[in-house]
Amino acid sequence: MADTLGAFEQAVLLAIVRLDDGAYGRAILKEVQERLERDVAAGAVHATLERLEHKKLIASRLGSGTPVRSGRARRFYRLQPGGVRALNDARAAVNALWHGLEWPLKGLA
Amino acid sequence: MSIEATPPAWAEALLRDVLQPIDGDSVTGDLLEEYRESIHPVRGPWRADAWYVAQVFGFVWRDARLWGTLFGAAFAGRTALDRLVPTTDFYIRASVSTYLGVTLLLTAAFLAARRSGSSAAGMIAGVATASIGAAISIGGATALLAIWHDPQTFAAVRASGGLGEVFMLPLLMVLPGLILGIFGGLAGAAVRRLRST
Repeated sequence: MADTLGAFEQAVLLAIVRLDDGAYGRAILKEVQERLERDVAAGAVHATLERLEHKKLIASRLGSGTPVRSGRARRFYRLQPGGVRALNDARAAVNALWHGLEWPLKGLA
Repeated sequence: MSIEATPPAWAEALLRDVLQPIDGDSVTGDLLEEYRESIHPVRGPWRADAWYVAQVFGFVWRDARLWGTLFGAAFAGRTALDRLVPTTDFYIRASVSTYLGVTLLLTAAFLAARRSGSSAAGMIAGVATASIGAAISIGGATALLAIWHDPQTFAAVRASGGLGEVFMLPLLMVLPGLILGIFGGLAGAAVRRLRST
């Protein structure tokens, strides 16, 4: 079984999947904020990316800069096979937990 | 969008100090892009600068929070020990507290500087660790005194240095945090240089 992912790690990995070739730091930050519908600190995303790369779930490469960044390079991320496995395992675990239940739950709130 | 808009130079320099060299351009570039394209046009210069500084402190906080929490817990633990197990001889307790604090500050600074390769990162980590620790320690001491505020407790507090020491000493630790941060930072940066040669 692959690494167990936290919710925020899943949000970052799924942002990389959605952004595909455009998955660099700021784009990932904005995608995560949009999906979670809240402000997220850049440091939180950076720390998560660093951890995921250390666990070899993602890999990165430097791209070119743009004038608005004063020419500073963008670091682009892509999923590694371990990251795909970890996301699939996370989804399977949630599916197993919900198996047989109707969503959304009714009458409990 | 204002491509000339520039965040505070000191904050950007501080951010570069705490990052690994390999991340310096990409992370400061990400923040600069967000600052210029999204934050500055909507919030204006002052609030955009405040946003940038908050982001930078977020990076510093993430690096120092573990050590700061341990530092604060050590202080709060000492206050609790003095309350629960009163003594008249504080030599051993004071020695253990002091060496533990020094070790935590040096370790935080050493690891931060070894990671970033910048001795300034050690200084920043030392100050941040002491500041987080002070906040936790003062909060913990306040909570302890809110629970136990009987004459026996105040007698124990007086015997161990008084309320001034409980609340002021953690704040005063920021200066040793700075000094130990410099030493730990120099050592950490030197180790990084040695390993890379």
